[in-house]
Amino acid sequence: MNAVELLRLALSRLRMSRMRAALTMLGVIIGVASVVALVGVGQGTTSNITSSLASLGTNLLTIIPTTQSSDGSTSLSLEDAAAIDELDSVAGVAPEASTSLTVTAGDESTDTTVVGTTAAYASVRAFGVWQGTFLTDVSVVRDLRVAVLGASTAETLGLDADDLGTEISIGGIPFQLIGILQPKGGSSFQDQDDQVIVPVGTVQKYFVGGDSVRTIGVSVAPTADMTAANAEITALLRELHELTATDDADFAIFDQTQLLAAASSISGTLTLLLGGIASISLVVGGIGIMNIMLVSVRERTREIGIRKAIGARGRDILAQFLVEALTLSLLGGLIGIAVGLGVSALIGQLAGWGFAFNPSTVVAAVLFSLLVGVVFGVWPARQAARLDPINALRYE
Amino acid sequence: MTTPIISLERVSRVYDMGRVSVPALDAVSLDVHQGEFVAIVGPSGSGKSTMMNILGCLDRPTHGAYRLAGTTVAELDDDGLARLRSRSIGFIFQSYNLLPRTTALDNVAAPLLYQGVGRVERARRARASLERLGLGDRVDHEPTELSGGQQQRVAVARALVTEPALILADEPTGNLDSHAGAEVIALLRELHRAGRTIVLITHDAGVASSADRQVHLRDGRIAA
Repeated sequence: MNAVELLRLALSRLRMSRMRAALTMLGVIIGVASVVALVGVGQGTTSNITSSLASLGTNLLTIIPTTQSSDGSTSLSLEDAAAIDELDSVAGVAPEASTSLTVTAGDESTDTTVVGTTAAYASVRAFGVWQGTFLTDVSVVRDLRVAVLGASTAETLGLDADDLGTEISIGGIPFQLIGILQPKGGSSFQDQDDQVIVPVGTVQKYFVGGDSVRTIGVSVAPTADMTAANAEITALLRELHELTATDDADFAIFDQTQLLAAASSISGTLTLLLGGIASISLVVGGIGIMNIMLVSVRERTREIGIRKAIGARGRDILAQFLVEALTLSLLGGLIGIAVGLGVSALIGQLAGWGFAFNPSTVVAAVLFSLLVGVVFGVWPARQAARLDPINALRYE
Repeated sequence: MTTPIISLERVSRVYDMGRVSVPALDAVSLDVHQGEFVAIVGPSGSGKSTMMNILGCLDRPTHGAYRLAGTTVAELDDDGLARLRSRSIGFIFQSYNLLPRTTALDNVAAPLLYQGVGRVERARRARASLERLGLGDRVDHEPTELSGGQQQRVAVARALVTEPALILADEPTGNLDSHAGAEVIALLRELHRAGRTIVLITHDAGVASSADRQVHLRDGRIAA
């Protein structure tokens, strides 16, 4: 008997007992659907984290001070930033002095982060300008009271292109609005679109005092190696801060790519874990198939006897029952995939990371449900194939 | 004289029941030739069923030699027996033994499935076989939609569809009323006239009398 004959036999048998077939498949459907849905959700989370990290800039090194004196000044200064900018491996440096202030425009006001920085900030942090202009070197050098708003801050304050050049108030001090940034989206960590950018000297002069900075963002040149640049900056800062070989560093350098790798590794493990837990239900579904196939072999003992008497070999009977189990598991698997993809699309929609169709998940789910069919179908099928035709024919 | 279709040579079948061995057949020798209609008759416990299982290649003799259509049965494994049944034997059982919830056509076609005959050819031959038995209007009926006599005729159609060397009928009238039973016997006689080799196993002397030759079994031996 060839595969087509076997499949036809199996399908006609399943049609005879639709309810039983449907209930037997339900176990596999639930199993496969939960594997597909959970893996889909896991992958959605991973790509969401990865893309929002990538939007921070992949060649970014972030330097933060590890010590802070009682007056709020830190160990990092504008001079440090200027020195780093002289390195060949560095494409851009954006020192940041930030504080939290109330920003008012007309009747609207909001509390947000005010970042004092330089013109290089846009390229270092990978921001695009939507309306107007960004800070210029001139405005930074002269400590002008000009401000660039993040997209969501502008929206909160009800400002758009028409309002460029108008006056807004930051911490009670008037600033001129010169630009609005393009939104970045991605909300996993913090809203990068909710901030106000002003020249670094202005923040130091009006709001925080001193000449230290909170952070120095360094954009490493595309041709340079991240690790080498990291080491170079470390050496430079230790020299500038007059640290001896035995002193602890008073700063720390974070590598964006390391963070990215760590985050995707964690989320990948989580996906695996979710898929693993879900596949337990698939095994339970397989046991359901085995159970029903054993019952079926018992019920159809006489049929097996008849088939053997009219010329079926053991392997014909084995194939018949195995294909029946495989049909149940494969059909259940296919329905389960459809349900699982539907669920993960729905979750992706609600969570806002969209729906990523992953063919390898589908292929794996099909193969896995076939495997379930074979593993749990072989034993009942062997029982059927081994029946003695004389006894089977007498079975009532 | 031609080689017999069935040749039993001092065939015994001993059942091992733990401590004791029960011989159901005891050194039985029997030849059945092409075109013969033989009845094997005996009361229950005479070894009829064992005889049926041996002749039908569902079981192997413990001792002695059985040759069916030139093939020595003792040398065959289970697959070989299945092939021999498929090729050489058409069974007719007391309880019809049709596949449940399967149409008459598919029932009759089933033996051809195991011979590897294609679907279209199977349907054609099964339909022809059913029509020969006057069941041309019943091809799509399932066993539960047919009378006992009709079911047995479907079983005969199934036995004939492979053109086997031997028709083996085990109490074919046992579950039928006298009228339907007489019809089945008439059918077997007709097949015999058409040149078929038939072995009929029965406890009923009246049924046995329709055969050309009667072999009486008693306590596992041939009595006369």
